[in-house]
Amino acid sequence: MKRREVIKRTALLMGGVVSAPAILGILKGCTAKPGVEWNPEFITQDQAYVITEMAEIIIPKTDTPGAKEAGVPAFIEQMVFKAYSPDNRDKFIADLTDFMTESDFSELSSEKQKEYVFLAHEKAVTEKLRSDKSFVMAMKELTMLGFFTSQPGATQVLQYEAVPGGYSGCQPLSEVGRTWAT
Amino acid sequence: MNLNIDAKKENTYDAIVVGTGISGGWAAKELTENGLKTLVLERGRDVKHPDYPTATKEPWQLPYADRPTAEDLEKQGVQNRTGYTIRQSTKHWFVNDLENPYSEKEGKRFDWMRGYHVGGRSIMWGRHSYRWNEMDFEANAKDGVGVDWPVRYKEIAPWYDHVETFIGVAGQAEGSAVLPDGKFVAPIGLNCVEDELKRSMKDKFGRLLTNGRVANLAGPLTHNKSPQRGTCQFRNLCSRGCPYGAYFSSNSSTLPAAEATGNMTLRPNSIVYELIYDEAQGKATGVKVLDGETGEQVEYYAKVIFLCASTMGSAFILMNSKSKRFPNGFGNDSGELGHNIMDHHLGVGASALVEGFDDMYYTGRRAAGFYIPRFRNLGNEKRDYLRGFGYQGGAGRSGWSRLVAEMSIGAQLKEEVITPGSWSIGMGGFGEILPDHSNSVIINYDKKDKYGLPTLLFDTEFKENDFKMRKDMASDAAEMLSAAGFKNVNSYDNPTQHGVGLGIHEMGTSRMGKDPKTSVLNKYNQVHGCKNVFVTDGSFMTSASCVNPSLTYMAFTARAANFAVEELKKQNL
Repeated sequence: MKRREVIKRTALLMGGVVSAPAILGILKGCTAKPGVEWNPEFITQDQAYVITEMAEIIIPKTDTPGAKEAGVPAFIEQMVFKAYSPDNRDKFIADLTDFMTESDFSELSSEKQKEYVFLAHEKAVTEKLRSDKSFVMAMKELTMLGFFTSQPGATQVLQYEAVPGGYSGCQPLSEVGRTWAT
Repeated sequence: MNLNIDAKKENTYDAIVVGTGISGGWAAKELTENGLKTLVLERGRDVKHPDYPTATKEPWQLPYADRPTAEDLEKQGVQNRTGYTIRQSTKHWFVNDLENPYSEKEGKRFDWMRGYHVGGRSIMWGRHSYRWNEMDFEANAKDGVGVDWPVRYKEIAPWYDHVETFIGVAGQAEGSAVLPDGKFVAPIGLNCVEDELKRSMKDKFGRLLTNGRVANLAGPLTHNKSPQRGTCQFRNLCSRGCPYGAYFSSNSSTLPAAEATGNMTLRPNSIVYELIYDEAQGKATGVKVLDGETGEQVEYYAKVIFLCASTMGSAFILMNSKSKRFPNGFGNDSGELGHNIMDHHLGVGASALVEGFDDMYYTGRRAAGFYIPRFRNLGNEKRDYLRGFGYQGGAGRSGWSRLVAEMSIGAQLKEEVITPGSWSIGMGGFGEILPDHSNSVIINYDKKDKYGLPTLLFDTEFKENDFKMRKDMASDAAEMLSAAGFKNVNSYDNPTQHGVGLGIHEMGTSRMGKDPKTSVLNKYNQVHGCKNVFVTDGSFMTSASCVNPSLTYMAFTARAANFAVEELKKQNL
């Protein structure tokens, strides 16, 4: 039986309320880790957990949504597996694996996770390391890209006007308000 | 027998236009408005205004943050040599490179960006629309480069008026001899920092900075022939196709005008690969077409044929049309067909940080910033190179991406991102490339495209004049930014990061001239050796100027079409 068929039939059995990617996860024998509320297509649950938590540490929920709510973790997986070149994808996964080993991330409390990421970030920025030399910077770049092009990021944190209708080139910032998303 | 005659009659028109881009659309409009039954052939798929699939997509509705995937780049790697053309929102306007290959002479790049669909590159063009000046048309004669233009500015000026009025060009009249004013709708505004540079350039150098002149309706059209066109909404998503019809494209403007006459038959998926030449009549009688969908081969006939298939597309058709009369390619008595390829060289300029103006910002996304017209080698000035260059540029405040390399992280990042970053300003040059016989293209019969047709082989490179000019292009930009008091001025010059063609201003494969021995076309874009064939895309350009060329193609095309109509009336064709 083709995979698509399996998914369709399983969906019927389950009353059709679970999305196809979710079922795919079930078929793979995966159960979601705490904090992974999306179903990775290409990476393991352990890897997805680290990406999800790191993204939320970089852009947390405040009075506006954070990276998780904006769907950034799934965006990161798509970027790495579809948009990156095979070499860059392999490097990202290797760096992720190293990061997981070095930090023992999954075993840390969320407070310690945040501390670890903040420290690694501070070191990378101080040393002017770019995303190819620092996994934290690679994650920061992807998280920011995903978040600020998402609807919550563009419209609730930044501001966005689909159809401005005109151009005003010299306007007091106090009138304009926040940074434009585009 | 009768069947054949009927079939031939059915496939016979007054005029055939090959191509639907900027030139083809104009030829179609002018010929049909003059009453000619016109067949318009387009090699790619149909695109009808306002059916542009990504035009109203929000940023979050585009996968991969609009970036190309690895799979996209496998199929469109050459089309992405610009670094900006292949996006989720625009990739459907560019060809699949695997299906449409071409070759480059070893060690020499030629960057050929193109789209095969109704409207051609008029959908994703840059829209900058500048008139040539008197000096541009006289330059070859004065410098002894290439051949002299057989026309002068004053002959073309009324046709610039004609096309500008119809398409609508945003711009500010400046009274400059170097950048002649046109028929403008309102200008697109400058921002505070650009105004500052404008003042400084005038005071310190006596040089002009003006609002970019683009074919966007910053104000309404002054005619009522394009009811489907609305004014610019300042979304700056032009290259996806504009559902408001607010910038000029064939789809939004000339093709609807041609359609409205009832005289146009538009046939998409029609790849013209050869002209039919009748030795007895000494005329071209039609074109051979390969149907891109069915693979069927069809012939169409007409009294007059307009080649508007793009500089390289028309060169291919002409070179691929061999007969007893034209054994070396159609109209190639001079040996210049496929030679003298030009473009504009770019990837050189400067940028700077701007201090102050922290309390100022802007609303709306513009389709253009500023333009600085040529100021070198005017009057008595003699640099160590010929001709000159202009700059396009703009200023703005940085957005969220500036914080990637900053200390900001977590909740603090979300706080800091709300305030826009500092202002920066940049300008990039477009330099004139001289016509040179050695920059050329031929047909490569060894490499076939997906239809089994032979392909093109390019042999082009930048020359000494270009490299010398680039030194000024970088240092003049830096000098002007420094003089305005801007900080961290950085000039750049990346000659190796592009080949000829990356300006997407290919010109010159069938240059016009006075002498049939040294040129392919006469002053009315007629093939010297076969008067009922006109070539009005970038092929005809005898030199390149440094301004964006499309407006000039429009003016020459409209002029040639009206000339052809008169000649038909006089039975000269």
